[in-house]
Amino acid sequence: MTSYVRGRDLGLLVCTECRATVRAAGAARVRCPRCGAVVHERKPHSVATTTALVVSAALLYLPANLLPVMHMRTVFSDEDDTIMSGVLSLLQEGSWPLALLVFIASIVVPLLKLVAMGWLLSSLALRSRGHPSQRSKLFRFVEFIGRWSMLDVYAIALLVALVQIRSLAVVHAGLGALAFCSVVVLTMLAAQSFDERLLWDTGRDG
Amino acid sequence: MPAMIVCHACDLVHRRSAVGFESRIRCVRCRAELYRTSSASIDAAIAVAATAAALLLFSNMFPLVALQVNGSARTTTLLGAAWGLYGQGYVPIAALVLVTTVLIPLFQIAALLYVLISLRMRRKPRGQNQLFRALTRIRPWAMPEVFMLGALVALVKLSAMAQVVPGIALFAYGALMLTLAGLTSMTPTEQFWQWALGRRP
Repeated sequence: MTSYVRGRDLGLLVCTECRATVRAAGAARVRCPRCGAVVHERKPHSVATTTALVVSAALLYLPANLLPVMHMRTVFSDEDDTIMSGVLSLLQEGSWPLALLVFIASIVVPLLKLVAMGWLLSSLALRSRGHPSQRSKLFRFVEFIGRWSMLDVYAIALLVALVQIRSLAVVHAGLGALAFCSVVVLTMLAAQSFDERLLWDTGRDG
Repeated sequence: MPAMIVCHACDLVHRRSAVGFESRIRCVRCRAELYRTSSASIDAAIAVAATAAALLLFSNMFPLVALQVNGSARTTTLLGAAWGLYGQGYVPIAALVLVTTVLIPLFQIAALLYVLISLRMRRKPRGQNQLFRALTRIRPWAMPEVFMLGALVALVKLSAMAQVVPGIALFAYGALMLTLAGLTSMTPTEQFWQWALGRRP
């Protein structure tokens, strides 16, 4: 079995900004000699910050899905659209690939991010030793897909800007959109504040 | 080059001589990218950044989409998308849309042009370190490709009720999306430093 040596064991740090190797040298505050950023062995307060962001995002996930994100008043009707009803109306118009896309980007991805981050954080709290490589794959996936949830926000922004025709229809944004935006931003910040190295600190090698 | 490279994702130490000198190196344990350089020259990167600047300008000068109803047309621009939300009192969403679609690409392009042109003229750009760090941090928040898909969704929704005509800006922004992706892959963080420190990979 290969033995793995950690930077922490050799007093070597890596600059999270420019990825240069930095010698710790026992100083309390180490700066990267290449880019000047403050370098930490692990991101400070990573678990606490990430937990706070994930919990806030989880609380906002409910209003984001229950409150209307958009309100459309036409000559004939007056309707509120939640994220889910927006998906359903796309489906009724016959564009099921787009309906699926919005469903995944706006409903599945935020939920997946919350569940995955919650699971990763609890695996750290329980000092789980198993499968750091799987957990880090999950984390990288969450980090990668996070931004795609903004899709619906842009669609709403364009509808609000375009559909302002008194004789036909007028679109207003809804409070749900504000909650939804917050969920996206908070979960992206949570992924940024999470220190992946923690997954490997307690885990078995490999 | 330092003798050791530490993985930023799993803290594993690699001996520099053991990982090789290819342009892209991954951690042997967690497969994170340790290191990537690009074969592009500074001149090529400046050219692509200048193209991106022109495309960003076009995509803000022309209408994005036109909606035609009963002979009258309504158009919006990229800034108009944020402005509409601002007008309805949703200031945070408007700011987020403005920042992620226009301001961050603008900053990326301007900062890169400034840094690369300075380096090309063999000068150390003022504020180089801060700019490099800002460019690295800001990358996940530039979302032109997400905006393009969002625009597609909006167009399909609108086409159910009126005639929708995509404008010049939409095509310009689509081209900007591709150009920015190319620019990002030409200028990985490590490559900045090799250019800045005047070393060849």
